[in-house]
Amino acid sequence: MTWSSRLTVRVLLALLAFAVLARLPAGLDIGFQFDAALAVVWGFGILSLVLLTGYVGQVSLCQATFAGVGAYAAGMMVSTYHVSYLIAIAVAVLAAFLLGVVVGLPALRLSGITLAIVTLGIALVFDRYVFQDAAFAWFTGGSAGWRVDGARMFGQQMDSSRHLMAAYTVLVALFCGVALLMVNLHESGAGRRFRAIRDSELAASTMGVNLTRYKLLAFGMSAAIAGLGGSFYPLVAGSVSPQPFWLFTSLQLAAIAVLMGVRYVPAAALGGVFMAFVPDVLTRFGHGTFRGQTYDISFDWFQIAVGVLLVVQLILLPDGVWGDLRHRVLRAAKHARLGSRAGTQAKGQETRQEEVRLA
Amino acid sequence: MATFAAYTIIGLSLGGVFALAALGIVLIYRTTGVLNFAHGAMGMFSTFVAWQIFYGIAHPFWPQWLATAIAIVVGLAFAALMGLFLDLVVFRWVRTRPPVVKAVITIGILLALQATASLIWKNNQYHLSIYVLPKDWVLNVADVPVGANSIAIIAVALGLAFGLAAYLRYTSFGRSMRAVSDSPTAASLWAVPVARVSAVSWMLGSLIAAVAGILITPFINFDTTSLTLLIIDALAAALIGGMVSLPLTVLGGFILGLLETYPTIWIQSLGFPRLVALVVILAVLIVRNPRGLTATSR
Repeated sequence: MTWSSRLTVRVLLALLAFAVLARLPAGLDIGFQFDAALAVVWGFGILSLVLLTGYVGQVSLCQATFAGVGAYAAGMMVSTYHVSYLIAIAVAVLAAFLLGVVVGLPALRLSGITLAIVTLGIALVFDRYVFQDAAFAWFTGGSAGWRVDGARMFGQQMDSSRHLMAAYTVLVALFCGVALLMVNLHESGAGRRFRAIRDSELAASTMGVNLTRYKLLAFGMSAAIAGLGGSFYPLVAGSVSPQPFWLFTSLQLAAIAVLMGVRYVPAAALGGVFMAFVPDVLTRFGHGTFRGQTYDISFDWFQIAVGVLLVVQLILLPDGVWGDLRHRVLRAAKHARLGSRAGTQAKGQETRQEEVRLA
Repeated sequence: MATFAAYTIIGLSLGGVFALAALGIVLIYRTTGVLNFAHGAMGMFSTFVAWQIFYGIAHPFWPQWLATAIAIVVGLAFAALMGLFLDLVVFRWVRTRPPVVKAVITIGILLALQATASLIWKNNQYHLSIYVLPKDWVLNVADVPVGANSIAIIAVALGLAFGLAAYLRYTSFGRSMRAVSDSPTAASLWAVPVARVSAVSWMLGSLIAAVAGILITPFINFDTTSLTLLIIDALAAALIGGMVSLPLTVLGGFILGLLETYPTIWIQSLGFPRLVALVVILAVLIVRNPRGLTATSR
């Protein structure tokens, strides 16, 4: 296919995805509508990792921090400066972008596990210090956090209690748009430079890729994507508090991104839905009696499942759930196209599964 | 001046805690090439097993010293078994993977252990500490009362560091461990039992994590997250030791403990020490990139 027809297909797919996703939670109760909106917020968080880890090969364990900075910045702009929510989002994305560039500075010297240690430290500093300390009350609204109700966007009411679907629709539209941009980025000039950095920084810089510029850009863009999702959090939840953006959320985001397939954009949607719905379904339906035995499946089972699944996946399916599915489908298609004899040859080549490119 | 001395004592015992936690990280990293983010969580889990034995079963009926001893023995045995289990079930299968993939696997283990502990022992509950030595044993050092448990931590950290270093240097199994840490392939060609070395490293590492966890409980908020999050301070101490040297790691722990304690004279903030740890990590990584991390890209 030519480039332009491929683009047309992608735009149509994004529009279709928006049309389906935007209507999907309409019939659900308010709790599940909240989950749906939260799924998109975390979907942005995972999408930011697809860019940073999947495309550029940089490890980050502080994506929830970027989302949190987005959420607090939006909350602060609305509560303190009483600006329109659109401006609050713009400020939040800008704040997250700047923080991302700052976090990217040590990444110029570090990679792999050392970068994991540093980003873990950053996540912990924001979790325990910035988001909780009285010195940053101007930004976090003190221990009470910010309350956001009665926000308006595009002339529509968008507070969390009764107009959640309006906020959700905007979120899904943005998510489809950013996902489309991400897919296109993969083959663009910048995307090729990103992937060159992932495969070998030395080779990339020899080929004339400006490492400083593109690494900082990757961190900034990734943080901006996470912050864009986070900036909707006050709208969706009605308030901001440190708990949703603490260290363990960052670790869960990284774990779920790798679990779902950190190199693939659709895995972000999959991961967001997984991260928002599964805990809620567990706490809602996970208790009762079965044959006289009472059982109570707590929220904690979700995190246990994420941890165990991540370990199993990294041993057995290094390319993640979506990546593995994709390999299987492509292999089956090739098999069907080439006939059985050539197909077995192709299979032999395909089974050399690629290592998840994290380093 | 008395304040300063008091804070020095607090800082040194905190440093002992960090040093203890860091020793296991360095040991496991050197011999298996796994940077264990789950180290704090593993120590936390074993500590809670000991806690459960102490307060759940033994406490009201048996004399204090016997209950403590049994709790510690059970906790340590559990830790060793957990280390063995993780090596057999998980890390044996990923030996040839890049270091980052192994590190991400330990994040999965961290999440699973932390959630399991919070499922069993609840997250926000107040837990009584385990006092290895009686709480009222107090010495006076430079007019500052020092609890026997603080001294125990400092002594155990120093003893373990030099003991382990000597073990690695002078015993034949210790030599095997160092051979594997230099090159697993070459070691296996020289008939070093690589699989057994890795299993023993995980058991030892997990054991040290449990020792650290049990000794720490009187000094921190004893809940499931605090011990898990100790990992960042432990990593900072391990980085000061270059991820290689055990005595330097202990020194790093004490330095970090003091650096995190002195600012609290002026800044009353629970979160500020985390910033100190981050700055130390950044300084160590950027100023002198530790050779332990760059040399072995197994």
